Amino acid sequence: MKMLKKGKRGDTDILIQNVIFIVLNIAYGFILLFFVFTKTGDAAVLEEKYSKQIALLIDAAEPGMSIHLNMEDALDIAEKKNIPTNEIVKITGNIVTVKLENGRGHSYTFFNDAEATANFDTLTKKRYYFVISEK
Amino acid sequence: MLIKQNNKKGGEKVISVYWFIILFLVAAAIVYMVGAFYGKPYDVRQIEADLLASKVAKCISYAGYLNEEILKSEFTENFLESCGITFEGAEERYSLKLNLTNISSGERIFETEKGNINLKFSCGLKGENIPLCLERSLYVIDKNNNRYRADILSIVGRA
Repeated sequence: MKMLKKGKRGDTDILIQNVIFIVLNIAYGFILLFFVFTKTGDAAVLEEKYSKQIALLIDAAEPGMSIHLNMEDALDIAEKKNIPTNEIVKITGNIVTVKLENGRGHSYTFFNDAEATANFDTLTKKRYYFVISEK
Repeated sequence: MLIKQNNKKGGEKVISVYWFIILFLVAAAIVYMVGAFYGKPYDVRQIEADLLASKVAKCISYAGYLNEEILKSEFTENFLESCGITFEGAEERYSLKLNLTNISSGERIFETEKGNINLKFSCGLKGENIPLCLERSLYVIDKNNNRYRADILSIVGRA
């Protein structure tokens, strides 16, 4: 960017212009970062991520296992959207549904023919645990 | 290209249009990349196909030997249930094929196919929405040291 000097007050003007220019660039950078972080922590993205992750965990599990999963980021979003903890993760038959905002949530199927239940960990309030048992 | 503006104080402010073009291009590139990455569903078919094949392998082989149950006719009839697998609610998305051959005699013990049998015709084709096919073979022996080969084909389609 070129800067033109003019007159005695020109030096002060150049300094102000530079400061404004730098501040605007930093603001621009922050806006872009905010956009990226908003997208990565989007409720729909997390719903899909966790529904698939839980389905795969159940597929890989054997009856008698208990699996703990940290879902702190998802729980924060659900809390902001006023979704009760007992509605965030639901397992019906062999379909896992994760719901972090009002709507249907995201569902994914698992093929392990076992009984799976989702429970909120009331001690840590950050995790869910899944108990796998024989059908 | 320079645009000169005179303000009330008489100083000149210069704004480069090129700079705005660069800012716009950077923003557009980031929005496009984020959209392209997060706009597509997570593809977990490879892991699912792997898990499916592993589950069948565990079902065939137990403690290093062939699971003798596999040789019974009820096993073949209820192959999925016997191996603790269910495709309920997503039958169109999964397919599983198992061939068991006695290597010593060359006899095919059984061949079974479950789920959506049409998915296998997509194996070998290329494309994002083409079902993912995974072939696995394993060798097992029974307690009489007869050798068997199991060929597993697990296919997982897009959700």
